[in-house]
Amino acid sequence: MEDLTEMLKGTLEGCVLEIISGEETYGYAITRRLNDLGFTDVIDGTVYTILLRLERNGLVQVTKRPSDVGPPRKFYALNDAGRRELATFWAKWQYVSTRIDSLKEGRR
Amino acid sequence: MSFWETITGSDLTREWTAFAARADALPADHQAAWAQISSSLLPHGDFTGRNLPPIADAALGLLEQAAADGQSSHEVLGDDIPGFCTALAGGHGARTYRDRWREQLNNNVARKLARLGG
Repeated sequence: MEDLTEMLKGTLEGCVLEIISGEETYGYAITRRLNDLGFTDVIDGTVYTILLRLERNGLVQVTKRPSDVGPPRKFYALNDAGRRELATFWAKWQYVSTRIDSLKEGRR
Repeated sequence: MSFWETITGSDLTREWTAFAARADALPADHQAAWAQISSSLLPHGDFTGRNLPPIADAALGLLEQAAADGQSSHEVLGDDIPGFCTALAGGHGARTYRDRWREQLNNNVARKLARLGG
């Protein structure tokens, strides 16, 4: 689906956190995962800046590993602060999505 | 960093020369992207410019990795390289990816409205 950008805004950071929480991973793989999920507009540059921000905010643990193609890759894993942030994200998401669903179904 | 380097900035020159050498090893379109990135980063420099090399290193690393993965620079960075650099530099009051997306959306809507003759 295209033109999701405005709706994705603000949730993409949570999506990236969730993907990292599954297993330690790197930028390119995260972008591919998002693309496979159907977020085809998401590019590496965007994911990369999100990762840098997560790193600056101390939510991830970064390990450099040599790769068989090209320069070493940076692998990201959640630390405790990151796991708390992710829990907060899902709580907020739950709050927003249940209310939007009830709106759609005409309940109050 | 020695006193001499602090005064002359010779360490900075050395770092940028090293970046240039790494960039020379990249495919042509990645080199072009690098040229645009390095010039877009300059406005984000602080007084001495010593905040820039780590940022440039990160951006160059992304390009190198993309080249190794066989991706074009456009696939990785999209159309808005200055916006990408701002997001990288994380400047205060700077345009973020959100602003960029909002603008993209607004442009799309405006274009579609214009097509409808509205």
